[in-house]
This record gives sequence, C-alpha cells and structure tokens, in this order.
Amino acid sequence: MTQEQPQHQEQGKPEHAHPKKPAYDRIYKIILILPLALLIFSFVYMFQFYQENKDFIHKDISLTGGTSITVNGEVDIVRLKDFLNGKLEDFQMKEISDLRTGKKIAIIIETKSSPDEAKKILEEFLGYTLDEKNSSIEFSGESISAGFYKQLQIAMIAAFILMSIVVFFIFRTFVPGFAIILSAFADILMTLVVVDIFGFKVSSAGIIAFLMLIGYSVDSDILLTTRVLKTRGESINARLWSAFKTGMTMTLTSLAAVLVSLFIVSSISDVLQQIFTILTIGLFFDIFNTWITNASILKWYAEKKRLG
Amino acid sequence: MKLGWKIWLLIIVIVLSIVSIRPNFFGKGVLITSVEKNSTASQQGLKQGDLLLTVNGEEISTVDAYGAALEKAFTQEKVDNKTKVIFTTNQKSIILYLEKDPEITVSELPSTRIKTGLDLAGGARALVKTEKPLGAQEMTDLVAITSNRLNVFGLQDIKVSPVTDLSGERYLLVEIAGATPSDIKDLISKQGKFEAKIGNDTVFVGGDEDVTNVCRNDATCAGIESCDQAAEGYFCRFRFAIYLSEKAAQRHANITKNLKVNTSAQGGYLEKSLDLFIDQELVDTLLISSDLKGRATTQISIQGSGSGSTLEDARNDAYASMGKLQTILITGSIPYKLEIVKLDTISPLLGSQFVFYIILAGLASILAVSLIVLIRYRNIKLSLAVLTTSFSEIIIILGLAAFIKWNLDLPSIAGILTVIGTGVDQQIVILDESKLRKEKIGIIERLKRALFIVVATYFTALASLLPLYWAGAGLLRGFAVTTMMGITVGVLITRPAFVEIIRKMEK
Repeated sequence: MTQEQPQHQEQGKPEHAHPKKPAYDRIYKIILILPLALLIFSFVYMFQFYQENKDFIHKDISLTGGTSITVNGEVDIVRLKDFLNGKLEDFQMKEISDLRTGKKIAIIIETKSSPDEAKKILEEFLGYTLDEKNSSIEFSGESISAGFYKQLQIAMIAAFILMSIVVFFIFRTFVPGFAIILSAFADILMTLVVVDIFGFKVSSAGIIAFLMLIGYSVDSDILLTTRVLKTRGESINARLWSAFKTGMTMTLTSLAAVLVSLFIVSSISDVLQQIFTILTIGLFFDIFNTWITNASILKWYAEKKRLG
Repeated sequence: MKLGWKIWLLIIVIVLSIVSIRPNFFGKGVLITSVEKNSTASQQGLKQGDLLLTVNGEEISTVDAYGAALEKAFTQEKVDNKTKVIFTTNQKSIILYLEKDPEITVSELPSTRIKTGLDLAGGARALVKTEKPLGAQEMTDLVAITSNRLNVFGLQDIKVSPVTDLSGERYLLVEIAGATPSDIKDLISKQGKFEAKIGNDTVFVGGDEDVTNVCRNDATCAGIESCDQAAEGYFCRFRFAIYLSEKAAQRHANITKNLKVNTSAQGGYLEKSLDLFIDQELVDTLLISSDLKGRATTQISIQGSGSGSTLEDARNDAYASMGKLQTILITGSIPYKLEIVKLDTISPLLGSQFVFYIILAGLASILAVSLIVLIRYRNIKLSLAVLTTSFSEIIIILGLAAFIKWNLDLPSIAGILTVIGTGVDQQIVILDESKLRKEKIGIIERLKRALFIVVATYFTALASLLPLYWAGAGLLRGFAVTTMMGITVGVLITRPAFVEIIRKMEK
C-alpha cells in the first residue's frame, strides 16, 4: 500500500496511465527562477542607472531639446566631424543611405546648439546656403521637450494602469490577472534594460514603441489565460500546449512583420528604425515572459484550483 | 457559393475605401494651389483647383518643370516691359502679359487623395507659446490673425489650431504644407505692431480700423520704383499706396496743422517726418510734403527698400519686404508676445523616397506573415485568406484616413504597420480555435471564445493608446489615431468577415 500517490490519479484522468509525472510538471515551478533572476537583475540595473543618469533612459534631441538638421546629398562625414568638434554643442551624426544602392542620401546632425548657430556653422563647412530645398531643420525648445517627456511618461503609466484595469475586468480573478500584468511589466522592464545597456538614445518615437509593446505583449498572455481558464474537458498541460502553439505562431508572425520592416526602413528613417528595434527586443522577451513567467504562474494557480 | 453579409460588408467597405483613396498615377499637369487676389492671372480667370497643363506650349508635370518653363518664358523679348505667357489649363487657354511672376502657386498632382503629413510631404510646423496664458476668445483671435497673415502672405495650405497638452499648457500649432518662406519665423511670431508716428503722436496703426485698404498686385499703386547699384550690390526701392480711414486721416490733419514748413531745393516739407515703426523698431522715415499740412488726406504712399548682391536678389528682397509690410498693415498686430518653442522646416525631398520604402515594408511584412501562416497550417487557401484580410485592413485604414483628410505622418505610419502585426495575431487565434479540437466542442463555442480573446485584446490595446491622444501637444496623435482606427476596423469588419470566410471554407 503506497502512502504517497501521484496527484493525477486522484482525478482519474486516462492520459496519465503511467505513474511518472510529465517533465513539465516537475520543473514548472523551478523555472520561475529564471524570470525572477532577470527581474532582480533588471531592478538592480535600473536602480544603478537612475543613480548615475537621473533618468530611466538616455534621451535624444526630441526629448532633451535641441536642433536636428538633415542635409540632403552626400557629405564627407569624417571631415564634417572634425570640423564640428568644438564648434557645435554636444553633437551627434547619422547617415541615411538607400537600401538598394547603398548610396548615401543624407546626413543628420543633432546638437544642443540653437538652429541658427548650427545652420551657420554647417553652411560654413558646406559652402552653400541651407534652405528647404536641400535640408530640413527641426528645433525643440528645452522646456517644451522636458514637458513632452514628462507627458509621455504619464501616458506610459496611464496606459499600463488602464490596461491592468481592463485585464482584471475581463478575468475577474486575481492571480491570473496579476500574472498577465507581471508578464507585461517584465517585458517592458527587460526591454528597457537592454536598450540602456546598448546605450541607445531613446526618442519620442521610442517611447511610442514601448507603448506598442504593452499591446503586443498582452495579446499572447490573454490568449494563454483564456485557453487555460476557459477550456473545459482537457488537462492543464494539454491546454498549455495548444495555447503555446497558437501563441508562438502569433509572436512569430509579429516578429516577422517587425523584422522585415526593420530591415527595409532602418537605413532611411531613424524614427522607424528605433520603433522596430525596440519592438523586436520586446517581442523576444515576450516569448520568454509569456511562456515561462506567465505560464508557470498560471499552471500553479490552475493546479491549485483543480481546473484540469 | 453564397457570401454571408459580413463578407459583403467587407467587400463594400473595401470598395468605398479605394474610391476614397482615388488612386491616380498617370495624371498630367500641376495643380494650381493658390492664385493671388487681383493678380493678372486671377483677372484672366485662373482659379485655385485648376489643372495647369502647359506653359507656352510646353507640357509640365512637376513644380520644377513649371519653374523652368516660366524662366524660359521670361527670357523672351518683352513688349512694353511685359512678357507674354500662355497658360493652358483643363478649363481653357489664357494669355497673360506679365511684368513679374504670375503670383500663383502650384504643386504636383497628388497621386492619391491620401494626405501625407509634413514628415513626408515637406513643409513647416511651429508650436507657439504666448507670453501670458490666453482665454478662449483670445486664442480664437490669435488663430484668426495668424491664419490671416499666412493667407495674405500667399500661403494657402495651412492649418492653424490651438492645442493643449496633458499639463494644461496651451499652444498654437501652425502647420504649413509644401514650400515655406525662409522668414516663416518672423511671419508667425512677430507681434507685427505697426505704428506710423509724427514725433510722439501716433497717426495710424496697422489693422483695418485705421487702414481701410492696402494696394497690392496693382502696378499702378504698388511695385518697385527703381533700382540702383550700391557699393556692395544692388538696392531697390518699392512703394505702395494705403488708404486711411476718416478718423486716421483727421488725426493726420490735426497733428500736421501745427507743424512748420521747411523749404529746400527739393520742395517744401514739414519740419517733422512720418516715422514708421514695426514692433517698436524704426523701419523707415517719410518726408511729409508741405501741401499735406492740416489736410485730412486719406491716401498715403508707404516706401521701403530691399537689397541684394545681384539685381535679381535685390528685387526679390524688395518684394519680400513689401509683402511683409503689406501683410502687417492689413492684418494688424498681436497684442502680446509670442515665442516659438518648436519649429520644424522639412524638405520634401526625402519624403518621396520614404514613401516607396514604407510601402515596400508593408507589403513585405504581409508576405512574410502569410508565409509563416502557410508553414504552420499547410493550407494555401488559409494563407491567402490571411493575406487578403490583412491587406484589406490596410486599404480600409488608408481609405478612412483619406476620407477624414487625416495627415499621415511618421507616427501614423508606424501605427499602420503595427496593425498588420496585431491584426494577424487575431486571425491566428480565430484560425486555431476553428481548427483544433474539432471533435470535442462545437465550433460556435470555440469561435465565441476566439471572439472573446479578440475583444479583450481590443480593449486593452485601446486602453494603452488613449493617453497618447493627448500627450505631447497632440503631435503623436497620428499614431494613436491610425492604430485605433485599424484595430476598430479589425474588430468590427475584417475579423467577423474572416470568421465567416473560415466557416465557409470548413464546409
């Protein structure tokens, strides 16, 4: 007479004919260590980052204020850099080239100097006047950019809170709702950490990308949770597995769309390039957080509630 | 095969969208976007919206070609100091005898009715802050004055609107599509306070209370008087007539009647002159002829000058200064200081290349996605269904944008590309629910669950987008709007149609 019986036999399910627990059942709680470790690392990193930089991201001109001048045509970027050193305040340069031919189409110079100053200095180097036919100039005052940034932060937080409310409203149970929100939060946090580690300067477009991530990452989590909680007549693992097949396809298609777009437009628009890069990183983390973090928590909950 | 009403709805909406977009890739000629009032061109019947097909017999299809054709025309022999130019439009043929530029603006024929934002079409955008917070009426007035100024200056494709951002700050947003003058900054932010004083007494100020009419585009009372060569280039003097109201004329009489007359070789002039100030800066001083002493004269000639390194530059500078002065006199001044906190002037050149690559990216994404669907479900018909559904969503969003004349800027486009990704996600959910576990539960039940997921994700996406509508003075609104349009169209039209397509394919 055995004292300890495998728990599935209490429910008498036919597919658990052999007494050994499936591998997933043995490890699903343990693998939660991975996201936990990553989360702790992320928190520590962000804490340090914030101490050093007084902010959560490196910001670019659109968020700090400054001038951005796009000069059409081919410009010798190396000579220009030497020339501008010391003349322009805190400047950065990017090149835009044609995807098909590799030909340089334009060069973007970003600086904290005022647009009039920057224009004059550039005209000195180029030897011709910059007008609307051969260039574009964008200028944002410092205080309005700071205001922008603050509002985008508020928009982020508001979006996240609203999303959480909707999630709880849909599922009406605490643990599953919490798992979804935790997974979405982890996605954004981990993506943020990677973006900071690589030293990207985030623009206002980049913050939009983070907002888009909220939507993208929640999609797969909602699918997972709906399948596990609302499908009847199946074991939990079977539900998880079918959700996995659907969810992975979803994430793979999103990833394909984003990677293709990234490849095609990155050389021609840095705004779109940043959006798609952040989305790519976020989608990879989404795979991790949905199928390890969210799935494990959900299974734990489902087992506890004897759902399958 | 009988198509259900949901599929019919989809088809109808797609057709409506294509009509709304009205693609037209083979049009000839350039669109006349504005004709200066009282100009020779407008007198001959040229109107905004006409299609200009040829200039002096040469076919033109681009703005550059128009410019080149005009230049060529002006090198012809002048008759009576005027050049003969023949314009052929889609309405008629007209002959113009021009002294100078015909004063019309043209733009390339848009190949679709989709309006592209500044990032793609080029133009200028400015965010203006006022030195003191404005009430609602004051803001309306500011919008009116600014629009008026820009219109009077000759800019037609403009949008001036008040915007409030999340922190409650109010700004004036000025958007000008297409070419922008180099002094856009002055045009928008200068208060434009014009005063004409004799000594310390103000005779008249700009605005229609004192100035009833300003002569423009009429060579008999406005134009360049003479040009001379100066030490470093050329120097042209312009003059134009203005008409004062009776009150202002009476003021002039009262102030001048007590002034003494100084007689010199050039004639008799009053001891004090008429000083012209703009924003408290002296711009010109006019001698007052002695026979105007004490007279309530209603016509005054305003003079000024322009300079340049070449004769051409000097003439253009003179015309520009004259234009500015005329504008300020006509529209009056803004009673508080303005500060431009954000100014973008964007060249249209890069834009056209952008568009090509964006379209390429969109198509490639849809293709990549369909490929993955094909690999997963190993069913070409399914893959095609997904492909057409995604494609139709894009067309519908574009049609909607064209219909409401929404400007598609870069954030909007990012939004549309997002919709491709999320749209497909939903379709996959629906596909899986219909394919898997066929035997165990009824298809209605499963599709209901799929729709539940779709609606749930719809509301969470909506929730995360709404705050973006107001953040950042509405500059990022484009993204929120196109994405919301896309997912709403998806939930209401394309996904239900897709569900029905799947069910029909199952049978």
